This record gives sequence, C-alpha cells and structure tokens, in this order.
Amino acid sequence: MAKVKVATIWLESCSGCHMSFLDIDEFIIDLAKLVEFHRSPITDIKDFTPVDVGIVEGSVGNEEEKEVLEALRHNCKVLMAWGDCACFGGVCAMRNTLDKEDVLKRAYIETPSTYKGKIPSSPGVPALLDKVYPANQIVKVDCYIPGCPPEPEAIKYGLTELLAGRLPVLPSNIMRFD
Amino acid sequence: MSEITLTINNKQVKGKQGDTVLDICLANGIEVPTLCHYKGLSDVGACRMCLVEIEKERNFVPACTYPARDGQVIRTHTEKLEKYRRLVLELLFTERNHLCAYCVASGDCELQSLAYKYQMDNARYQYSWPDKVTDSSHPFIVLDHNRCVLCGRCIRTCDELAGAHVLDFGKRGWKTNVCADINQPLGESSCISCGGCFQACPTGAIFSKASAYKGKSSECTSVESVCAICGIGCDIKGLVKNNNLVKVESPDMSKPRGLLCEMGRFGILYPPAERVKTPMKRDKKGKLISCSYEEAFETIARNFGKGGTVAGLVSGKASNETLKAFADLMNKTLKSNMVDVLDGDDYRTISRGIAQFNDKAGLEIEAKLEEILSSDTIVVIGANPIKTHPVIGSYIMRAASKNKANLIIIDPLRNPFTFRASVWLKPPEGKKALAIKALGKSILEHGTARTPADKNKSTANFKDIDIKKAAGELGLDVHDIYKAGEILAESNNGIIIYGEGILQYKDPDLITMILNLASLINKEPKTISLKRYGNSRGAWESGLCHSKGSINADLVKGKAAGIYVLLTDDTADSQISTESLKATEFVAVQTSYLSPITALADVVLPSRLWTESKGSYTTIDGIKKSTTPMIKVSGQIKSDADTLQELAGYMKK
Repeated sequence: MAKVKVATIWLESCSGCHMSFLDIDEFIIDLAKLVEFHRSPITDIKDFTPVDVGIVEGSVGNEEEKEVLEALRHNCKVLMAWGDCACFGGVCAMRNTLDKEDVLKRAYIETPSTYKGKIPSSPGVPALLDKVYPANQIVKVDCYIPGCPPEPEAIKYGLTELLAGRLPVLPSNIMRFD
Repeated sequence: MSEITLTINNKQVKGKQGDTVLDICLANGIEVPTLCHYKGLSDVGACRMCLVEIEKERNFVPACTYPARDGQVIRTHTEKLEKYRRLVLELLFTERNHLCAYCVASGDCELQSLAYKYQMDNARYQYSWPDKVTDSSHPFIVLDHNRCVLCGRCIRTCDELAGAHVLDFGKRGWKTNVCADINQPLGESSCISCGGCFQACPTGAIFSKASAYKGKSSECTSVESVCAICGIGCDIKGLVKNNNLVKVESPDMSKPRGLLCEMGRFGILYPPAERVKTPMKRDKKGKLISCSYEEAFETIARNFGKGGTVAGLVSGKASNETLKAFADLMNKTLKSNMVDVLDGDDYRTISRGIAQFNDKAGLEIEAKLEEILSSDTIVVIGANPIKTHPVIGSYIMRAASKNKANLIIIDPLRNPFTFRASVWLKPPEGKKALAIKALGKSILEHGTARTPADKNKSTANFKDIDIKKAAGELGLDVHDIYKAGEILAESNNGIIIYGEGILQYKDPDLITMILNLASLINKEPKTISLKRYGNSRGAWESGLCHSKGSINADLVKGKAAGIYVLLTDDTADSQISTESLKATEFVAVQTSYLSPITALADVVLPSRLWTESKGSYTTIDGIKKSTTPMIKVSGQIKSDADTLQELAGYMKK
C-alpha cells in the first residue's frame, strides 16, 4: 500500500502542537511506516505538493499565513486543525478586542526594551489582518483536534482515525481546551 | 399537593403539581444538561441548554421553567435536541471571548465541560470578539465580562441568597452586561463581598483574586468544616492543595447558614499578621527569642509559682475544648478566680438584663437565627450586622426583599439597611433607651390584639411616656415613631436584633427594655444579641466570665502578680488594655499572631488557627458545631488544649 502523504503547516502559534505530536512516543515509528511527510516544519520542505492529509497548527493573523493555509487547502484532500489556535483562535486571538494599529504600536514602539522603534513597513513583511482567525473562517476544515496543546493521546487518536479512513471527532474524555 | 404522572423518555415517572419538568427529571435521575439553573435559586430559562420536547407542544421548551402536568409525554435527548444544544454552545462560545487556554476557570468551568460533553471541537459561527472590560476594582473579586454567558446566576445569588441585590443586568440586547449598582465598578459598589457570585458563576467571569491560578478543584482535596469566625456557624468547605488553603466555598449555598461572608470566604485566605511559629521568651537584653516548649513552660511555671494571684483572660474565639483546659488551668491548678472572657462585659450586661426581665430564662430566651427569615418585622437596634455578622445581615435583607418584612432601624449611624428601612429612627448617641420607650408607647397606643394591655406586665414600662415630648427630646419626627409603632402593633412575627451600639453602654436596663419591647410585639419575646466572637456564647456559658464585673480595674491597679492571656487566633486585641499588662509583673500570651499584646509579653506560646484545629464552637443561638482541620499545622505547634494541659503539668511539679 502506498504511504499516506501528509503536509503540516505552523501558522500563528507557539509550535506546541507539533511538539505534542513528537511526544507520541513509539507510535511515531509505526506512523513512519504508514505516512510520508511532505511540506512540514519537521522536514523543512518549503514547497507544497499535493498530499492526502493537510494539518494546520495555529491561527491566521497575517497575509502570508492566509496564503499558506489556502495553498495547503488547495493541495490536500482532508484538512485537520490542531490546537486551540487553529480551532478557535486561541491565545493569538487575544488581540482581537484591540485595534490593529494599537497592537503594532505596542509591539514595535511601546515595549520597555524598544529604543527608537518603528512599525515595519517593508513590502517583504506580511501585513497583519484586521483580526486573528481560526482556520475554519478562512478555508473549509474537515476535522479538529483542540487543546493547548492537544494531548499526544488526542493527536494519536486523530491520526489513527484518519488512517482508518474516518474523520475523527475527539471523544469527550480526551477533549481538552487547555 | 396532588401527585402527577408523566412519561419521560418512555419511562413513567411521578412528581407533584407545581414541580417543573426539570425538578421531576432531577428527582428521577434523568440527566438534563443545564447552565443557568442553580440549586436554591429561582429558574429563568436563560441558557436554553435544558430544552426538552413535549408532545403536543408547538416548540421545544426549557425544562427548568416549564410546569410539569399530568400525562405529559416528554423526551429529553432526541437527536434534534442534542443538535440544538451543541448549537447553543457554539453561540455562547462565539458571543464573547471564551479562550480557555489562559482562563482561571479552565478545568472547573461548566461551559467548558458542556462543550467537551457535546464534543464541540469548533464553532461554525463568526466570532464577535467584543471589547469587554475586566473589572478588578474589588479587593477580592474580579468581574471579567469577557467570560460571561449572561446566565444570571450571580445576579440571582446576590438577590435571593445574599439579599444584597448589588448585581443586575445593565443595558440591553447585544450590549447587556452584568453590572453592580448603577453600573459602578464593583469595588466602589454596595457589594457586601459575600462571594456567593463567584461560587455560583459557571465560567471564569467572576473569580476570587486569592484563589486564581492556585489550583483547579480537581487537584484539591475538599474538607468540610464549620466557620468559627463570627458565631453564626456557617458550613464551610475548604479546597486544599499541597497543604495550602486555595479556595473557600460553601457546601450548599441554598441551605441556611450556607452562604458565607467576606470573613469566611476571603478573610482566611489573607493572613492578618505575622504568625507566632514557636514558643518565645525574653533573652537577657529583653528581646523575644525562640525557645523550646519546655523552656517556655518552665519560665511560666517558675514565675507563676512565685506567689500572688495569677489572672487569666481568654478570647471568645477559643473552642469549647480549649476553654475547658483553660478553666482547669486557672481554677484547679492556679486556684485563681481572677479570670474573665474578653467580652465578659457583654455577657454580664445581657444576662443581668435577661434576669431582670425573667429571672429563670438565661440566654435560652433568645431566638434562633433562622427565625429572622420568617419574620414579618425586624427591628435592628444599635447594630450593623452586615459588618459584624454578615450572614445575619443577609437574612435580614432576604426577609425584607422576599417576605416584604418591614425593617425598623434604631441607630444614629447609617448602615447598609437604612435605605431599605420602613422607619429609621436616629436617636442621638446615649438616648436609645428613650427611643425604645417611645416606640413601646406607640405600640400600646395602636393597641395589639395579641397582648391585651392590662394582661401584659411589660406594658407598665411604657405607660408613662409622652411620645410627643420624647420625640422633641430625641429630635425625631413624631410621625416616624407612630408609623413604627403601627407596623409593630400589626406585626404577627417580629424580631429584635441588637448589638454593639447597645452593649457598649454596659447597661442591663437597656436589655430588659428591649425584651419588654419584644414582648409587646410577640407574646414570647424574640430577640437576638450579636455576640462579638466566634465562640462568645461557648465562653460565656463555660463559667469563665467573672461574675462580679470586669477584672480590668484590678489588673490596672497591679493586683495580679501574673497574667495568662489566651488569644488563640484572635486579632481583635484592642479588647485588652495595655495598661493592665504593663501593671502586671509577668505576662504570658498564647496566640497565633504577633501583635502589640505579644510585644508586652514575657513568654509567648504559639496557638493553632481554627482552620488547623478540631474543636466545638457554640453559635450565637446556642447550637454546638464542630470544626474539622482543613490544613495541617505548620511546624511543631501543639493544640491549644495540649499546651494548657502540659503547662498545668509543669505548674504541679
């Protein structure tokens, strides 16, 4: 049987979900026999190729993240969201009650350690979106593994279900939002 | 009440007329998810989690507010209902900023656990991200509107259980917020800090500063005990993690004495002063230094054994067991009768006052606290229960708002009740007796059917008063006195509560007069005196109160060679005159905290807190209740009774 192709992306988040994924212990050896990783922070491959499963960690807060998520959706058959940021907006969405300009000012000018700071204006730096969005408000998401970060157990459950051809819905006893 | 039979989920169940559908479901073990329902509060049907399907009804109806009727056929968990419940949850999560990852309630949150139950792994609606404020102006409580689901549990707790009605909904529709008073910061509002709101809050919208992020309930062990602070004897539950008291809750707020107050819920989480951790004695330079129990006992025994009277002072915060050991030490071992309780004057005033009224009665003549709740008229004389005995304050406010009880205040000082009072008489300081007399006469003038004037011996005390003249002397409006008299004459079940404002005069006649007034209202007079300490009544009934009068004057004259002051965890040391300690050669103090009193001591012995001890306490109204230790005592602090008994052993050597 051909290996299942997987791509993962890490948007606005702390990488905790990927860390939790690496925490699935010996299951990772079984998994390696069944799947192959394409674009992912783990493989450091930067280009998108068509895959079976796309996994998104993190919320969408700037133009680049939006583009990357759309590209992943375009290239995958099933899209799974990992973690509170991708599922609900998470900690990153804290800024959603503030003005974008205030957030930039706070980060680049008002922080105590900043001397003569200025808000970056280079076209090479992706512009912030007005709000931080969970993945499903940008593209269609097929399944969700919430948690901050999701327990390795939850990630394992999600992958096992997907490999068995089912869309995972976490049972209540392993679902966590914290 | 007639019995009704319904079918719920194809099962025949019984209930009674007047039950709601939810009542019957809960009574029959049928689990229906709820969020805005809370035990002991009225139901409002705000959250729509408990929607059920009833045959022949046009729509789904909320079980919590829907009256059950005979023959109803109800289903509680159809596929459609479950779909709707998840939908409700998604709407709640997207309405405000519910981000669990850094929420103080995560793990204890009812909204979160419902989301887990309904496997809500995403929300299909657009998030609103409203810009809500967090109000942290209150010393103990934070009100975070970001986490609020507008279930109204806090509002109903504040109104129906605490009787304060500080919280309510402000603004309308999309802008609706829980607000205090007329939208003031909570810290500047009339909040009485009972903390009922934060216990009732299903999410992290209202939380206690002292408990935040110190541990989830699931990580804590919970110990049920009795609060020993003010003498009401409220049931209390301590949540303990790593031997730290993290949070204080009520085991059941719907029960009498289940509400708790600022002192019980928050006070014990903030240490009032530095702890005394070991026994201490004076070194050669006169500095207090740590020493062993043996050295401390030996020093005390040597000095007390020198001859001369040894006096004893004990706080009404000590448990009955400690009081017993203290009585044994003072009376049997030291053979001293120069012993008194710190609020002994209050006891002498009250007991003499009662004896003048009825020489057989004693403290048993006083009413039970719960009688306040069923009273139709409440007279508060010289007391501010919201400050001294907050749960009694809540009882009064509940009676006033729920039963429309009339409130009559006789006090020159403003207190949180005065704006609710039907009549507020403000006699000048020192003239309460005349005001009480004028009120009694006013009752007689209105006449009471229950106590025919000629048959009630109490009437004699009020006959000769001229109300108009008295009003003039007191500077009161004569109509207020007539109005109060009319209310009391028509009352079927009135009660009088008095406190510090009366007891400060140390005048037994005032107490007798209050009892006489009370017997014009009810045949059996109903009065409650607010006692100062958690176990004042226990201390008074232990026989430790000096029978003749305060021993302070003798102490100041230097009539005692030594004194043993047993404060336990009392910090109200203003009751002890420093002159009396300075006039005494040798001072031993047993206490939990360093204070101006320990500064005058020659030997200091440590004392356990009531939260660390097992002991029995007698409430204001004479009920004995026992505490269970919530935290293990830190270090090598012996129990109070053990300390006293071991000291007695040394004295005998």
